[in-house]
Amino acid sequence: MIRMNKLSKVYRTHMIETHALRGIEIDVQPGEFVAVTGPSGSGKTTFLNIAGLLEEHTGGDYFLDGVNVTGLNDNQRSRLRNEKLGFIFQGFNLIPDLNLFDNVDVPLRYRGFNAAERRRRIEEALAQVGLSARIKHYPSELSGGQQQRVAIARALAGSPKVLLADEPTGNLDTQMARGVMELLEEINARGTTILMVTHDPELAARAARNVHIVDGLVTDFVRREAASLVAVA
Amino acid sequence: MFFYYLKLGAVNLKRNPIITALMVITLAVGVAAAMTTLTILRGMSGDPIPHKSDRLFYVQIDSGPIGRESASGDPDPQLTYADTMNLWRAAKAPRQTPLMGTSGTISPERKDLAPFLTTGLAVGSDFFTMFDVPMLEGQAWTGAQDKAGADVVVITRALRNRMFGENQSAVGKRLTLSQRELTIVGVLDTWNPLPKFYRLVGSNRYGNHEDYFVPIEYAVRVESGIEGQVSCTSRPDPGFKGFLDSDCTWLQYWVELGRADDRQGYLDYLGAYVDEQKKLDRLPRPINNRVSDVMAWMERQGVIDNDTVVATWLAFAFLGVCLVNTVGLLLAKFSARPGEIGVRRALGASRSEIFSQFLTEAGVIGLVGAGLGIALTIAALAYVRQYAQDIALLTEMDLVMLFATIAISLTAALGAGLLPTWRACQVLPAAQLKSQ
Repeated sequence: MIRMNKLSKVYRTHMIETHALRGIEIDVQPGEFVAVTGPSGSGKTTFLNIAGLLEEHTGGDYFLDGVNVTGLNDNQRSRLRNEKLGFIFQGFNLIPDLNLFDNVDVPLRYRGFNAAERRRRIEEALAQVGLSARIKHYPSELSGGQQQRVAIARALAGSPKVLLADEPTGNLDTQMARGVMELLEEINARGTTILMVTHDPELAARAARNVHIVDGLVTDFVRREAASLVAVA
Repeated sequence: MFFYYLKLGAVNLKRNPIITALMVITLAVGVAAAMTTLTILRGMSGDPIPHKSDRLFYVQIDSGPIGRESASGDPDPQLTYADTMNLWRAAKAPRQTPLMGTSGTISPERKDLAPFLTTGLAVGSDFFTMFDVPMLEGQAWTGAQDKAGADVVVITRALRNRMFGENQSAVGKRLTLSQRELTIVGVLDTWNPLPKFYRLVGSNRYGNHEDYFVPIEYAVRVESGIEGQVSCTSRPDPGFKGFLDSDCTWLQYWVELGRADDRQGYLDYLGAYVDEQKKLDRLPRPINNRVSDVMAWMERQGVIDNDTVVATWLAFAFLGVCLVNTVGLLLAKFSARPGEIGVRRALGASRSEIFSQFLTEAGVIGLVGAGLGIALTIAALAYVRQYAQDIALLTEMDLVMLFATIAISLTAALGAGLLPTWRACQVLPAAQLKSQ
């Protein structure tokens, strides 16, 4: 689903070159739940941004669902992002002036669905996260956990193949975090590939596979048993 | 997507309400200033009879004595009685009419109405056809009545209503004008061309339309009072006949030619006429005739007031200043939304879609500004109407100007929105999403 070959990212200014990612090799299979961990500044977010087509890589190749994204223009990348990917952010990133219906509607508008199809998908997605009754509410009227569930509904409404989650429980208390995590696991169980950046070892341990990034380099682990992780070549 | 963007634009009006209000007011004030002056300028400069303005010609003959020519070299704007009647009787054009301002006291038959003084025009019967004067009832007098100077009159709808009441037929009734009885043969429908192009000399160009029309031979026969400009280079002999025989200029003369190209032919005829008159010891100056179509005559007469032109330029410069302010305010408004832009980009919006959305939002501000701008323009025109009576009729905002106001406001807002929208498109989504 996500395949990166010798993928690198270099930020250049007049004087300095910063190597954020150095030749990453990774292959995420359809339906996998992968946790990306690593210390601050290790390149996790850069990795997720490139995976989410929000930034361009400077070297190597990136295949998303079989499509080589290298060299695609902004319109093509946006289209691909809209069709294949869903995003969940630590800060929820809901649009405060829009109610839940309209927030979930955003990616569907860019997809070009007709009104009936959009309504069906919005209602279904909000039902999936248990917020059908709040469809006309505004984000400010919801708790943090509820807002994150709306963000998940928004990500799911377009039926993406991959869900990219950046610290999805980072702003939530333990109970709410558990609820969100259970929701993600349920979504994954239905076949959606999930790539989740997290600092929390407990959350990472619940993923089927961990990718650890340090100084822009990847150590790829596959969970073989409940309590142990095995490094793969 | 356009309607989605419109909806978002409407929703986002409520975001930063103070900045939004400032933008709308700034835009509306600029648009209102521009449209107020433009409305007046348009009234002054518009073609009042577009389908035939190139076939209607105002005639001038340089009839004054040698040594008293005007500094500009232009002939006198009006004609002597002798030249006017010679040209009119020769009838070399398909249609022609002399024109003379006059006035008289009307004595109503109704006891409840006091006699009142009003103004009129003495013209030839072709006048009504030449200038497309609409008839409500009856018709113009005949050519025979023209020649005979018959006691007939055509009145305006306003005068009919005043004299006989609305919806009352007036044709065939008598009108007592300066103690003479005339028969009403026609009633004009409302006809207030602006500027009053048919009579630019010796009359208010933007109002005071005449109440009645009589044959010019009648006006001369009864020695009707002259309303307008009279210019004499020597003292006329005593009496009305002396005045008619003098070199005083006080009549205006229009011809309608079959085609615009016939102008040169008519000029040639005028040249021949002047040559003939020279043999009679008249018209001593070298031939300096003018035959000007409607627009050329309006330009020659300086119908477009220079002050209004300058005011219009200044108003549009002011609109430019308002737009610069609007650009700044839009930059402030849009720069407060990098988070939303980042989210939309992440969810699949391309740069061009962000561009369309934000430009549409600027357009929505333009539409609201247009609404307020129209209200302010109407108020400003009402103010002008109250304090500048001579151009009061130019201050009506018609549908064309209404739509022009909307178009200018929208264009201005879209123009002002280009830079802020382009800046919005440059937002890097990755940087914004992490910082939310």
